[in-house]
Amino acid sequence: MGSTHAEAYRVLDNAELVAVADLVPERAQAIAARTGATVRSATEIIADPSIDVIDVCVPTYLHRDFVVAAADAGKHVFCEKPMARSLKEAEEMKAACDKAGVRLGIGHVVRFFPEYIRAYNKVHSGVVGKVAVVRCTRGGFALPTAWKDWYANYEYSGGLVLDMIIHDFDYLRWLLGPVERVFAKGTRGRDYNRLEYALVSLKFKSGAIAHVEGSWVNSGGFHTRFEIAGEKGLIDYDSRKANPITLTVNKAGGAPGVPVPASAWAESPYTTEIRNFINVLDGKEGQIVDGNEGYESLKVALAALESIETGKPVNL
Amino acid sequence: MKVGMISFAHLHAESYASALKALPGVEFVGIYDEDNNRGKEWAEKLSVMHFEKLEDLLKTDIEAVIICSTNADHCRYTVAAAEAGKHVLVEKPIATNFADAHKMIETCKKQNVKLQIAFPVRYLPSVLETKRIVESGQLGRILAIKATNHGSMPGGWFTEKDKAGGGAVIDHTVHVVDIIRWMLGLEFKEIYAEYDRLIHNIETEDCGLLTMELTNNVFATLDTSWNRPSAYPTWGDVTMTIIGTNGVLELDGFSQKFDIYNNDVKKAQWEYFGGDMDYLLVKDFLEACKNNTPVKVTGEDGLKTLEVALAAYESGKRHQPVAIEEIRN
Repeated sequence: MGSTHAEAYRVLDNAELVAVADLVPERAQAIAARTGATVRSATEIIADPSIDVIDVCVPTYLHRDFVVAAADAGKHVFCEKPMARSLKEAEEMKAACDKAGVRLGIGHVVRFFPEYIRAYNKVHSGVVGKVAVVRCTRGGFALPTAWKDWYANYEYSGGLVLDMIIHDFDYLRWLLGPVERVFAKGTRGRDYNRLEYALVSLKFKSGAIAHVEGSWVNSGGFHTRFEIAGEKGLIDYDSRKANPITLTVNKAGGAPGVPVPASAWAESPYTTEIRNFINVLDGKEGQIVDGNEGYESLKVALAALESIETGKPVNL
Repeated sequence: MKVGMISFAHLHAESYASALKALPGVEFVGIYDEDNNRGKEWAEKLSVMHFEKLEDLLKTDIEAVIICSTNADHCRYTVAAAEAGKHVLVEKPIATNFADAHKMIETCKKQNVKLQIAFPVRYLPSVLETKRIVESGQLGRILAIKATNHGSMPGGWFTEKDKAGGGAVIDHTVHVVDIIRWMLGLEFKEIYAEYDRLIHNIETEDCGLLTMELTNNVFATLDTSWNRPSAYPTWGDVTMTIIGTNGVLELDGFSQKFDIYNNDVKKAQWEYFGGDMDYLLVKDFLEACKNNTPVKVTGEDGLKTLEVALAAYESGKRHQPVAIEEIRN
């Protein structure tokens, strides 16, 4: 995610990426070479008085330490989702930013994807009437591998419920308002397996019911879906049916290639997300996902994890 | 083989009637309906006899009946037909409560007649193919299932609790539960449900979402909502995503379709061209009667699916998961 955010800062006119830090020096150097930033240690970057904003893309369980350090140094902080591994950590992050009087943004980028924004706008213009049942799907690929395989460590990442389908919880909260009750089941705790799969049932205070499917099981590659059914209409989206390009290239010797679908953006939603945060700091836009929003979405994800563990519904 | 039909209250009656008309070696004798006018109209339309009294139909030499009444009437019609020595194919769900379901099963056993519950989805060719793939072991061990059985709001008695036993949950839980039991050999242990009346101004719930614990450490969800708007291109769906340790199977039971855009209709329509499951169901039932072989979907199968639906209603009242064993007693 760090390199994706770096690309956003490179593209934006009102931001300049000056320095990057990474525990893997080669990766920091690659980003620096592409963006013109310098490679320094995180401590040096946070201490540099000429820097206004720190973007934190470390593994989830380290968010609190870096965000609090950055806030204490008077920097605005943009932090990748999920906000933290626990509510306590998230509270400390919010408190540090409030105390320092700096802005905190959380990377719930789904709110910046055009299909999700369009659907939100359609629902709010009354296309489906009052919303009844929403179904969301995210995943379809094997467990991501990263630095020290941290995604596979439940204590570090919270698994797919906290790391991935928190996107859908956040979107649903944006769309439908506060959650009343969560019940969830997942592969976690049944027996060890690198496959992770979870199904989550949510009841909202509005009355609406939602279902979220999260999958780190290969079913042909990453995809997302949503279906929003209401009193008078229904919105149905499947990313696998919304690919403008399907490329099939034969391999050497004429062996048939595998069709690879591709999307095409006028602007990367990750750039739109970072643009919003920078424009908030410049007083040009309202903030879409602040610390409070990140905190509320974290609460829903942790409730789902609790339900998976206890086998009982969790009231919020 | 001579066959009669009891009640056209359920919309599937028309489709079973056309199967009876089309099947070679089958004589569709006539119809009894508690709504005399409806019975008369259908009898005329189908060129079969109309019986104003149930006993008159049951006095004939028909060997089997198909019952498409309201859910609450399944029991009294099944018992009457069984006591007259007729085999019974009855629309799902088997009944609206356990007492009726037990009475139906016991009476048919005692009278030595066959009782089959109409679960046509078992006869859908894509479902049969899915079963074959699952049984081949290609998916490895099954971990989880995500299913939907969406529909449009059927209206009429389907939305009256005393006649249907409930709304979208009882109507659309039983098909997929039956498929899962039959396809994967799993039983349902514990049910959690969220359901509500969120779309239509009706007596019963129109939306339902079940989260279920099965044997073999498998979990599943099932969306039973009547939430396809009238503008939707078709009536609904049956879908299943089956997650295995070695692969994933996605079934969309009615995806053998093409799209129609017609200026007179003003909405897209899906034209399904897959196998006719209702015809295959009726054919299979009558063959079991004729050859005196076991029916594919027994009364006990119907009862097991009813258990899940009734556990779902109990869960919705308590907002807690409900063990099947607990409500069975």
